[in-house]
Amino acid sequence: MQAALPPPPTLVAEPSSAMVSAALTETHVRVTSGFRGARIVLYGAVFDPAAKPSDVVVLVRGPDQPIRIARKSRVAGIWINGRPVVFEGAPGFYMAASTRPLQDIAGFAALRRLGAGLDHLNIAAPAEQRISTRYGVRDMVVSSLGADYLDWRRGVLRLKAAAGLYNADAAGVQFVDRGLFRSEIQLPASAPIGEYSARIVLFQDGRAVSIRDRTLRVEKVGAERALYLLAHQRPWTYGLASVAVALLAGWGASAAFRRR
Amino acid sequence: MFDIYLPIAEVSVNAALLVVLGAAVGFISGLFGIGGGFLMTPVLVFLGIPPVVAVASEANHVAASSVSGVISYARRKTVDFKMGGVLAAGGAVGSVIGVEAFRLLRLLGQADLVVSLSYLLFLGVIGLLMLWESLGAIVRRRRGEPPKPRRERRPLLLYALPLKVRFPRSRLYISVIPPILLGVFVGILSAIMGVGGGFILVPAMVYLLRMPANVVVGTSLFQIVITTSLTSVLQAGRNQTVDIVLATLLLAGGVVGAQLGARASARFRAEELRALLALLVLVVGIRMGVGLFVTPVDPFVLMTGGG
Repeated sequence: MQAALPPPPTLVAEPSSAMVSAALTETHVRVTSGFRGARIVLYGAVFDPAAKPSDVVVLVRGPDQPIRIARKSRVAGIWINGRPVVFEGAPGFYMAASTRPLQDIAGFAALRRLGAGLDHLNIAAPAEQRISTRYGVRDMVVSSLGADYLDWRRGVLRLKAAAGLYNADAAGVQFVDRGLFRSEIQLPASAPIGEYSARIVLFQDGRAVSIRDRTLRVEKVGAERALYLLAHQRPWTYGLASVAVALLAGWGASAAFRRR
Repeated sequence: MFDIYLPIAEVSVNAALLVVLGAAVGFISGLFGIGGGFLMTPVLVFLGIPPVVAVASEANHVAASSVSGVISYARRKTVDFKMGGVLAAGGAVGSVIGVEAFRLLRLLGQADLVVSLSYLLFLGVIGLLMLWESLGAIVRRRRGEPPKPRRERRPLLLYALPLKVRFPRSRLYISVIPPILLGVFVGILSAIMGVGGGFILVPAMVYLLRMPANVVVGTSLFQIVITTSLTSVLQAGRNQTVDIVLATLLLAGGVVGAQLGARASARFRAEELRALLALLVLVVGIRMGVGLFVTPVDPFVLMTGGG
């Protein structure tokens, strides 16, 4: 059913004496009833005896969430949704921050390998794809979305960006002192719960020379977590309890008002 | 300042705003003897709450305001529990069908369309009919004409069908089939539109079942309590979309608003109230339907909540 995915990209940095090191100010984001999103500062340093010009790219990915997207079209005067298409491999949150525009830092192939930047996010609609032979070329991936495929892809990225879940900032990493840099991760309140990965890549002369990986956990705690778990693990109990609250509140209010 | 993160909706909203909204809709609900869901659900969606969560949690809020109303009507002995029970039996079947239909529609990506169309169609038609009827009554009263005599002849259908039952409080002896079918229909709507269905039940009870006007509102509220409670449990059990924090905030305001509204209703004439309600119903219906005709800003739309 699912089309074979390409082999995982090799992430061995090319040998160099330059190194990057980084840390997050917070590795555990607690979602409580007062959660309104979070801002996490990432800071790090570049160690390079040769002091070559360096660029830093920070890639943050939230847990993968399949995306269902539909295109509206006009039928008999009203706008209706077409058949929904499922995109897989899409992170629930994505940020690409860099010291300069990505295309100035590295070439297409290097960025594609790392999945750096919205243009290089490896998302696909496998259910729409089939492998066929065209023009004598075997194993061509053909999408039933046809020539509009890029429109669909751009639609996904645009809507996610509008929700504050995808962003690319070509000035999102700043060198604050010699070799010392910082970046900020802005999580909206709608950011998905789960494990996030932050990958910090050092580029020199268009090549990734050093990579550091950090993780970040976003989880519900306290009452939020208890309610969420109850709603999903014992849905019927939860439903009965919520109705009981509603009926009691209604009865309580009418009793309170009668006494006055 | 009072922002609160909703555990199921997974968005952050202003708690004070929700309580005030709940109170405002509760007031309208008490004033007109309706659930108020048709107003609240669109507002919640507008505030950024995923529609599936808004619809399911709103059923809970409607149940709370309606209980508060039904108790005061029961004290005045203007609830026909027998008729309400028959309507609710149909409503139970309708909710089950509606919750399953809604699941299917979400999978097909057509839930938005069906919700918008239902609002446009039902609110539009009922709003227009009510406006026409109530304006007519107001004009006649201004001219000093006597009110139109109520046609006492009841539709033959009510009597021709089998399974006749006596409803003493409504002074009716009719077949149970029409009220059951009405209940099923309202139950389906309540699951799909996130409404109690009072705006359909009340006119249907007056014009189709020919029930006496004084028992209509209380009986409608009674049936709404049962149907929305059931819908709420089903939505929580089947779809996990009831946000108890959201529902509690809304009903905290709602139950108080409903009591105040019920008191205020004594100060207005019935036909003026009906005209106001008709306008409100029309405005909401048009507002929800307009989106279907306006060219969208973005041709693509993400389906929230998955399948």
